[in-house]
Amino acid sequence: MTGADIKSVLNFSAFRPEPDDPSAGWRRRFPSSRTVFFGLGRNSLSWRVVGRNGKPGDPEIVRADPKETLAQSAVNIREQTDEGWCSVSINTRYVISLETNLSRRPGSEELLKTNPRGVLGGRYERGKLYAVTHNPETNSSILLSCDEEQIRKVETMFREPGFRLGRLCCGSYVLLRHALSTTNTKTGEKPLSTFYVVCSEGAVCALVQDQDRWLELRSRTDVYDEDLTAIADLLAPFQSRLSPESGITLVCDEPIAGLAERLATVLPNRPIQDLSTPGLLVTLLMNN
Amino acid sequence: MQLDARTIDDFKADRKGITPPLPTILRLVPILLYCSIAVTVLLVSLFLVQYRMATQKRDGHLLQAKTLLGQKDASRNDRSALEIRIKKATDVKSWVAGSRQLQPLIMEITRSMAPKSTIMDLRLERDAASPAQLNLAPRLGPDTTNQLDTTLERMATQKYRVLSPEQQLGRGELAYRATLIRQEPDRQPEAPLPPAPKP
Repeated sequence: MTGADIKSVLNFSAFRPEPDDPSAGWRRRFPSSRTVFFGLGRNSLSWRVVGRNGKPGDPEIVRADPKETLAQSAVNIREQTDEGWCSVSINTRYVISLETNLSRRPGSEELLKTNPRGVLGGRYERGKLYAVTHNPETNSSILLSCDEEQIRKVETMFREPGFRLGRLCCGSYVLLRHALSTTNTKTGEKPLSTFYVVCSEGAVCALVQDQDRWLELRSRTDVYDEDLTAIADLLAPFQSRLSPESGITLVCDEPIAGLAERLATVLPNRPIQDLSTPGLLVTLLMNN
Repeated sequence: MQLDARTIDDFKADRKGITPPLPTILRLVPILLYCSIAVTVLLVSLFLVQYRMATQKRDGHLLQAKTLLGQKDASRNDRSALEIRIKKATDVKSWVAGSRQLQPLIMEITRSMAPKSTIMDLRLERDAASPAQLNLAPRLGPDTTNQLDTTLERMATQKYRVLSPEQQLGRGELAYRATLIRQEPDRQPEAPLPPAPKP
């Protein structure tokens, strides 16, 4: 036992998870610390500082090369945090796909991180990192894959200016899982048929759920900046594939003005359930 | 269908050697430590306050004892002075009581003084060896011869007989010395006892 161990017991930090422990929630790791949440796009970098009271500050976004933006703003942003701890949500260079017949053996989700080949079999691609969400009623699964090299570059990009990486995740995937868990909460009732539309800093993900089944998923990154036409063009083809009773579930990292109206135009006569709230993605990342 | 999405899939490279947090129950260890420190500080503070109060009380008692000792010494001195005065008063009282028999003699000596004569000194002592005798030693002036005779005559009225008189005449004064014996009143002779009857 060293002096640091004794100190950690006396200041109660030994009873909290370590700051880079991915198995623990953000609030447990940083109960009263200032941290920053980054959103990384291909040509944009956004950040939002969370104060000691856990309240997110105002969002800031710079539409330029993220690396240059970070190099210029790192000192200023880092001063607003206690020890430089940050969470990064990548919104580019990832793939979300719908797969079937993936292994669901106990522990397969953990095994996916250490030995993805054992879970994915022939679908495994070398140099990729994966995350999976299984449909509990069918054999379909949502699979997120990222280039490991790209992930390491992002880690280096943030560590070089002095940030300490506490979490690195995909914002669209987090929002999609949030939408699925929010809408599919009850068992034994008539399953929900809806069209999930997820928007996160230029990335769009659309999932068609017909009752218990996931029928189609389309994910694109760097689709929009401020013009919503690209979103409308991406989603318009789904009109013919949605069932008549299917509604629309919209979830965005920040509420996008006019998006719901635009969806109502593209996909008419469908009720829209908008789950978007200000700072939704940051709130989800902090609470989980 | 029910989905649980409370976990966030993290792509960050995991650091090796991440230790899990200690069990919550072990929070009692630092809590008890801090409580014991707080209690110790409280007790030490109370002890210090009590110690300070006790010290002040002791100092007060010492000061009071010192004052009382001073008062005791002063009282003792007063008592000693009083005892001395009592002794003097007792002596005076004893002298007054002892000299009561001599007062008529002294009064006669005083009354015998003529207007132009003075008693410069008068000593009247009872002889320790024979208490019945008085040693008289007056110094008279300036009209000495007539005055001495007058005084001796008045003394004779008090039934004192003068023995071994000595006088010494100086410049305007006369030093006289004599022994006085009080003449006892004549006693009646005792009657002879009657003879015892014969059987």
